[in-house]
Amino acid sequence: MLEINFRQMPLRWLRILNIAIVFGSVGLCSMLLFLRLPGMELIGTNPNWLLIWVVVWSIKRNVWQGAIAGTSLGLIYDALTNPQPSHVLSLVLVGILTASLRKQRYAQEDFITVALIVFVMVIVTETIMALQFSILFANSLENIRQHYQHRILASAIISSIWAPVVHYPLNSWWENLRKIEKLKTRLK
Amino acid sequence: MHRWWDKYGWQTTLTILALFVAWLLKQTQATAIAETYYFLVSPFQSQRQLQLENKLTNARILQLEQRLNELEQQNKQFQELLGYAAQQELSITAPIIGRSAGIWWNQITLGKGRNDGVEKGFIVSGIGGVIGRIIQVTPHTSRVLLISDPNSRVGAVVTRTRHPGFIQGQNSQAVVMRFFTQVADVRVGDTITTSSLSYLYPAGLPIGKVKSVNVDKGPAPEAEIELNVPLALLEWVVIKPFTPKVEVK
Repeated sequence: MLEINFRQMPLRWLRILNIAIVFGSVGLCSMLLFLRLPGMELIGTNPNWLLIWVVVWSIKRNVWQGAIAGTSLGLIYDALTNPQPSHVLSLVLVGILTASLRKQRYAQEDFITVALIVFVMVIVTETIMALQFSILFANSLENIRQHYQHRILASAIISSIWAPVVHYPLNSWWENLRKIEKLKTRLK
Repeated sequence: MHRWWDKYGWQTTLTILALFVAWLLKQTQATAIAETYYFLVSPFQSQRQLQLENKLTNARILQLEQRLNELEQQNKQFQELLGYAAQQELSITAPIIGRSAGIWWNQITLGKGRNDGVEKGFIVSGIGGVIGRIIQVTPHTSRVLLISDPNSRVGAVVTRTRHPGFIQGQNSQAVVMRFFTQVADVRVGDTITTSSLSYLYPAGLPIGKVKSVNVDKGPAPEAEIELNVPLALLEWVVIKPFTPKVEVK
């Protein structure tokens, strides 16, 4: 029913709606970072919502789009925590990796694959963050490893469990949008 | 040019817009996000606030408050006798509305901001001792860097022997105190307070108790300090004005 309504809308309006959804979902994800609800927490860590968003965005887009999303969300993440070390590097890498993963035939965009990608990406980003920390503050890598090993794993688990919450609505919206766009351009 | 615009114009505009918005948020330290978050959670907060205030005024606290009043009265009289000009201090009670984002930081977001008189550098404490300082303020919220954050360093002193050192966060309820001198007389159970050498904190605020001492650690001994305030269970804090002795970034 909803889809039919969308189909009748002019393409321009749909695109504006899409921008609103993109910006709105990023805003929502950034606010969720502060929230600690029961079930959303595992040994003091909550899901890395911005990383989930970057993965969901990049999964069906090209490398450039992934990188730009990574840059933007990295900047937002920096604003929400501390600018040093920056999250931009790790999130850009997540965008690029996820976008290039698509070309291989592993990812069939179901819940489990998305959860798996998020799991791996959290470990990748946190490893990069750990390296950045050790370079910046000249901490020994051993020290950092001890402190963060279990928290990185907890973060990866909780993020991948919550990934479908972001993936499902956004993915189905973009899927529909693509269909409608194809239909409309063919009609032209 | 026209064809290029038809093909890529929309995408380019959006890309620039996205990057610009992100940059803007970075520059303003995400004030917009913090403010929106405050207005979204404040309806839920007000309910909890009442319950918490009830909890806070339980008998034990009342008893302690009365004792404190008594002592403050006495102190005032003594100060008057000594001709000591005491400055009137205001303190702001604030609810915790958000926890730290991500695993690398130990920060909390409070539901009081510039409009309530909170400023950067103010000291935040819970029942039991100091927990951190304000690092960023928006009109309705403020962000606190907890002393349990690995980036936070606080000048501290052992109250019994006056041995100076500094404490560094470890992302948990326990923090590490590193001493400046080679041989430090520290025992398990000693209380730790902020030292007068600290630039960012006023002297004499209680922090915690020594849990264990590692004498073998070089170049100077290390002690593990258990914080007085249960950071994970905290829902309510008190903000006290303080002007740092150095310019805070």
